Amino acid sequence: MGWWSRLRRTFDRGEHRAEIDEELQFHLDMEMASGRAPREAHLRLGNSTRIAEETRAMGTIQWMLSALQDARFGLRQIRRTPMLVLAVVLSLAIGIGANSAVFSLVDAALLRPLPVEDPSALRIVEWTNTEFPKGLTNINGSFGPYAGGRVKGSSVGPSLYRTMAREQSSVAAWIGAANTGSAAISLDGAPPDQLAPLYVSGNFFDGLGIRPALGRPFLASEDRVGSEPVVIVSHRYWKGRLGGREDVLGKVVRINNVPARIVGVAPQDFFGLQPGIWIDVYAPLAARVAFSSAPGSTKPRGEIDSDWWVRQIVRLKPGVAEDTARAEVAALFRHVVDAQSAVESGSPVPELIFLPGARGLESLSSRDASALRIMLLLVGMLLLLVCANVANLLLSRSVGRMHESSVRLALGASAGRVFRQHLIESAVLAIPGGAVGLGLGIALAQTIHYLFQAGRDASNAFALSLDLRTLVFTAALCAIATFLFGLAPALRAARSGTRDALQAQSRSIAAGRLRLPRLLVAFQLALCLTALVAGGLLIRSLDNLQNSDIGFDRENLAYITVNPSQAGYTAERTALYTEQALRALSQVPGVTRASTVQIRPLSGNANAAGIKIGGRETTLASGLFDPKALSLVNAAGPGYFETMGIPLLAGRSFGERDFLPRSGKLIVDERFARHFFPNENAVGQRFHLGGPDEPDSEIVGVVANSAYNSLRDEAFPTLFSPYRPDDVVNFVIRTTGDPAQLAEAVGRALAGVDATLPVVQFHTQTALINRLLRTEWMLSFLAGAFGIIAVLLAAIGLAGLLAYAISRRTREIGVRMALGASAQNTVRMVLADSLKLAAVGVLLGLPCAFAVGALLKSFLYNLEPLDPATATLALAGVVAIAIAAACGPAVRAANINPNNALREE
Amino acid sequence: MSKADKLHGALELLVLKILRRGPNHGFALAAFIEQNSDDILQVEAGSLYPALHRMTEEGLLKAEWQRTEAGRRARVYSLTTKGKKKLAAEESKWHAVASAVVKVLQTAE
Repeated sequence: MGWWSRLRRTFDRGEHRAEIDEELQFHLDMEMASGRAPREAHLRLGNSTRIAEETRAMGTIQWMLSALQDARFGLRQIRRTPMLVLAVVLSLAIGIGANSAVFSLVDAALLRPLPVEDPSALRIVEWTNTEFPKGLTNINGSFGPYAGGRVKGSSVGPSLYRTMAREQSSVAAWIGAANTGSAAISLDGAPPDQLAPLYVSGNFFDGLGIRPALGRPFLASEDRVGSEPVVIVSHRYWKGRLGGREDVLGKVVRINNVPARIVGVAPQDFFGLQPGIWIDVYAPLAARVAFSSAPGSTKPRGEIDSDWWVRQIVRLKPGVAEDTARAEVAALFRHVVDAQSAVESGSPVPELIFLPGARGLESLSSRDASALRIMLLLVGMLLLLVCANVANLLLSRSVGRMHESSVRLALGASAGRVFRQHLIESAVLAIPGGAVGLGLGIALAQTIHYLFQAGRDASNAFALSLDLRTLVFTAALCAIATFLFGLAPALRAARSGTRDALQAQSRSIAAGRLRLPRLLVAFQLALCLTALVAGGLLIRSLDNLQNSDIGFDRENLAYITVNPSQAGYTAERTALYTEQALRALSQVPGVTRASTVQIRPLSGNANAAGIKIGGRETTLASGLFDPKALSLVNAAGPGYFETMGIPLLAGRSFGERDFLPRSGKLIVDERFARHFFPNENAVGQRFHLGGPDEPDSEIVGVVANSAYNSLRDEAFPTLFSPYRPDDVVNFVIRTTGDPAQLAEAVGRALAGVDATLPVVQFHTQTALINRLLRTEWMLSFLAGAFGIIAVLLAAIGLAGLLAYAISRRTREIGVRMALGASAQNTVRMVLADSLKLAAVGVLLGLPCAFAVGALLKSFLYNLEPLDPATATLALAGVVAIAIAAACGPAVRAANINPNNALREE
Repeated sequence: MSKADKLHGALELLVLKILRRGPNHGFALAAFIEQNSDDILQVEAGSLYPALHRMTEEGLLKAEWQRTEAGRRARVYSLTTKGKKKLAAEESKWHAVASAVVKVLQTAE
């Protein structure tokens, strides 16, 4: 007999049983046919029901049959104790839901492969070298240290990419792609959206093995400079901005005011190559030239070979070893670099390497990634807490059911069978808990995702979908939770001695010391302490960050970004516009001062430069800046320091003549002056900065320190050059009231200067700071929520245990009272009991709290993992729980009437 | 004490041996054993039918519903190839054990 028929028979009780009955009936009939009286025939056959049961068992999967019986029994138990079951299912739903929510984010951000064909065959191609290749002006993506004292770069120049893609035959597809920042994208003359297009090679969609949902992929001919610009839009952009209409193919969008025809719509869940950055517009690599005006240089960006901006992804050929393919393309690359003189002669040639590409290009900062891991840890602890709570609830029930278990054992059930029956009952509770948890998890994941996106633009989105991995994870959690919370009650039931329980006085005997429930409650209090410490540390740290001294007044300050280069302005025209716009802005009522700045402080960006001071040797190891010779660089417009309120400490501010090209005047901050000129007056010092044809720079002033790219103390020396905007202009305004109220007036004032230049961004300084602290916000929110749930669960668990203990000591308390104990004594006794448990919890919890604090260290600001104030608050919290939880049971104990108590039983 | 024990574990061997003669139903198997052992060996339905179903599960027997001469539906068992092999092995084992037991009994007299 096959497994299938046995499985079918296990679940289907009718048909199989009927066959056996018929067979036995035949036997009986034959007995009678051979001359026996019906009565004798029946006697000879024996108990036909039992025979049928035993026979039937032979044709089924026995363990499953009995598991089904246990599950049915478990369901009947649910009907008997609905409130308890509701509490268990809800607790589990919270624990499991929080975990599946965070897991689905971790999955989307860090684990899930790209939604393309056979992602495991993809490799990212980067290169390593002994130093920064000479002759390059830019490397897109990343450039940084690599193993063995080498450096690693992520991109190559456009001609290098094209030649490699054309000439290589070692891999199945050589794909180029690059995200080079935002462009103004407008539809039907509406104000443009700022979206970052992904420039891709012609073979992008075919190479990844995905087909556009509508239209077609790019043609090879469309990836040539000079061909008509075309774009493919994302599915969500099509559904949202284009109304999901079928006739969008052929429609024209304007990118930086250049018309481009839509030829396709990307597949539904395809977000590009970087999880967390959702690309809405794809354009051929060659279209970058068409979409970029060239305000400063003669050649438009996109075809400058010293600008290495194209990132590369390849698909391995089936059957070709990865090492072989890599060695072949690396050899070809050396040859092509040499032939094209892509790096200066004498500079070492980069060596191509393959990196895993199944999950696409990395996008999440290591900080966000570790924040996600910390969240996973926090919700894991939450699940443990829930399991301890549920275990206690079930333990109290299993004590109530000790009689039943004992009867089963006495009637010959094996301890294993009773153990399994209780575990299966736990599973019956875990499954609805998991199902509700999954629903809760989806909602929670959306909330966390929303927090993650706060203050960012629409491109910062993850593909949050309820996929198989999240379902499997949730199911596994259910199974683990079943064991965690079901083990203790099941063991207890299997061990319940027959003698004890069958005695009438079982209640008072079982009332023992409740050792296991007490331990579980202490464990809950320990986790609660840990949660309070984690939440306290994160919230206090966020508070410290938000109130840290940034060197200027963060209130009443706002930045307005305009991008004249997107409208094709020349540098001269931009300069003129900036001058007029500043005048218009300072006339807006409520604006007291206005200036410009190249990079907005605390916006998350910064420029840096290596400082070489004449006569003093500073090494530039392998093209990486020596941190000791590093300075951050910003450019300040006229009146910038006055607008910000950053005091001038020595020398002078920039004058009008300093803004002329090649003036070479600089202002440095105090840190810079102290670091590079410790024993000298910094004002008047000269050193070389920038390209070889730049004149020497002279420091004309020193300003007080101010925050630039970080709110933490890790700030570097900063220097300011005179700001001559060439593409993007950032205006900064100081206002008398809330600057957010002025957004419209500012927009009108700027439109009055030049109606063709829309405001690209308007951010208050406080909004920029909140955006910078997004990860900290997210963690504090979760840790805070976790702390509240932990407090509630621990308090409920403790109160439940105390109440249970009182109910079982009613008689004893009655005796004590009859012998003269006062109500006060009784209250004190319950309170002492509760505090004793809290003390055990604190002892257990302190090492955990310390460990969690150490894990959080990198997220803490001006705070030690063992912050005394936080620890004291958390301790006070646990003591408060102990007292609050004891109140109800203590009052009940004090109200016990000795007469009634002694008369009971 | 389980009823199968009265046959000292030989029920399976007997069933296999009898079915070697041709397919038959449960009642006929029981009747055959009782008659040919001069009613010394009693086969009880409570042992026989679970054994028949277990052996069917193990693939030693094949069960089919057939019409008897009287026109009734009866569940008829027959030997499979696996069952025949098992019979050969069990039979020689039984003889070996039985003669060994007899030998010990005689020596001990």
